[in-house]
Amino acid sequence: MTDAVETRSLRRTFPARAGRGGGEIVALGGVDLSIPSGSVRGLLGPNGAGKTTLCKILSTVLLPSSGTASVLGHDVRHETLAVKRSIGVVFGGDRGLYGRLTPRQNLQLWGALYDLHGRALSRRVDELLERVGLSGRARDRVDGFSRGMKQRLHLARGLISDPRVLILDEPTSGMDPVAVRDFRGLIGELTAEGRTLLLTTHDMAEAEAVCDEVTLIDNGVLLATDTPARLAARLSTLERVEADGVADDVLAGLSALSGVSKAHRETGGRVVVHTTTPAATSEVLALLVSAGVTALRTVRPSLEEVYLHVIGDRGMLVSP
Amino acid sequence: MRLFRDAFRFQAALTLRSPDTVHVLVTAPLYTVVFMAISRHAHRTDLAAYAVLAPVLMSLWSLALLTAGDLISRERSRGTLEAMVATPASFPVVVLARITAVTTISTVSFVESWLVAWWPFGVVVRVEHPLTLLWCLVLSALAMAGTASAMSALYVLLPTARTLQNSFTYPFYLLGGILVPVSYLPEWLRPLSRLVFLSWSSDLLRSALSPAPVVDELPRLAAIAVLGAAGCAVGGLMITRILRRVRSTGTLART
Ligand SMILES: Nc1ncnc2c1ncn2[C@@H]1O[C@H](COP(=O)(O)OP(=O)(O)O)[C@@H](O)[C@H]1O
Ligand SMILES: [Mg+2]
Repeated sequence: MTDAVETRSLRRTFPARAGRGGGEIVALGGVDLSIPSGSVRGLLGPNGAGKTTLCKILSTVLLPSSGTASVLGHDVRHETLAVKRSIGVVFGGDRGLYGRLTPRQNLQLWGALYDLHGRALSRRVDELLERVGLSGRARDRVDGFSRGMKQRLHLARGLISDPRVLILDEPTSGMDPVAVRDFRGLIGELTAEGRTLLLTTHDMAEAEAVCDEVTLIDNGVLLATDTPARLAARLSTLERVEADGVADDVLAGLSALSGVSKAHRETGGRVVVHTTTPAATSEVLALLVSAGVTALRTVRPSLEEVYLHVIGDRGMLVSP
Repeated sequence: MRLFRDAFRFQAALTLRSPDTVHVLVTAPLYTVVFMAISRHAHRTDLAAYAVLAPVLMSLWSLALLTAGDLISRERSRGTLEAMVATPASFPVVVLARITAVTTISTVSFVESWLVAWWPFGVVVRVEHPLTLLWCLVLSALAMAGTASAMSALYVLLPTARTLQNSFTYPFYLLGGILVPVSYLPEWLRPLSRLVFLSWSSDLLRSALSPAPVVDELPRLAAIAVLGAAGCAVGGLMITRILRRVRSTGTLART
């Protein structure tokens, strides 16, 4: 499989704002990213990590400071038109729509901007309104729409050119749970059609639910890329053991073990032991079993915990 | 061309729902009332053509500048500028088509103004040369769009120019010979006013209403077209430059 999106040593800096002295802000510090054709890639990172900057560079509205980026083999710097024709972009938020007009009028403009006109345009607009469930509201002003509806209209806008590659910058921010569920269904359909998706988010659950692979980014640096499950597994050091019916002296014994970072009792009596090495996990299990505890299990960390661990605790970097 | 047509149609829909348009289309006939009242009081009903045409050109100019003034910055605050720039469409063409839609709509004020002269003032302003009038209105709307697209770029490049936005009205009404004919202006101002397409438009529109045959019709129409095309070219270049800068600095504002 070829890569739909590829970046090499991609770097983007901005001059530091006045007042902060000279120097520069490094939004992306030499990013190497490859997204296989037909996959859904999540880009997960806190605010200011550089996600939007990457999306803007891939959609040709921002130039790299150095390094290269290409979409379907077209260089974003030099083959701008070819890149523009192959991607759809949805920059998040509920802005970006003409509130005084109807969803149909909004989509008609965007279609025209992608060189769709006349009947082909009308057909495409109807099809998309149907697809995102806005057919019933096609004649209403967008002003009166809920955030979720606006977000779906955004998505329809991104799809107007029938792009092979779709870039979604925080697409679900502000959506209600029902809208989020529909959105995930739509992502499934889009990948079934062979499209490649790059989706930025700071919502772990979302990345876990829809992405084939997730890339963690912080401070303009990619920290790790893997499937959500393996990303979690790679941090087996983060494993934890949960057990019921543990006596206080046993808990004290657990806390004293060298590979245990934290052992505490939750309200309700369950004991949770966080370990830092697989060996420590074995030791904890052995100690619990010898103490006659039978209600126990090991728990893999969720993507959220991985995320908090990697990004929340910068002292412990994961090798990419 | 189809892009131009679709962008035109889109902006027409947007403009018809905008309070700015309502404001301009409501005030135009009020100006006609003022000018008609003055000309009647002065027993100069021969000046009815001025009274009818001045508000038309004023609304053409002010609506175009109002819209153009924040077309680009409004797209940016709406969050659509980037998405629009990310499409394969030519952004200067889109801007020009949209402003042309606005100027075309503002020519509706001609009908309003004509009706106000007829009722309540009972003056029927005869259009003696309808084809000249039509051509002149069409070319003026296009020239206005060209000039306004240059203005829209200017406002982005020089944010301070925005604070002068209102000052761009009356001086141009004067230079454009809208309120008084250019020939009444001081000698030294006249060459300057010939660089403003409005001065050609207003003269020719008045000729179209007057029974005398229109002299030099084609060169005068050409002057409007040339000045409009110049505005267009300058606007296109400036917008292209702005986009290049946004792409490299990541921001519209001059830092
Ligand atoms: N146009 C700009 N000018 C200056 N700094 C910018 C600009 N755009 C982004 N940045 C800075 O670059 C960094 C990354 O921003 P961004 O890509 O928006 O992050 P994210 O989308 O992950 O929240 C931030 O420190 C931000 O302040
Ligand atoms: Mg962002």
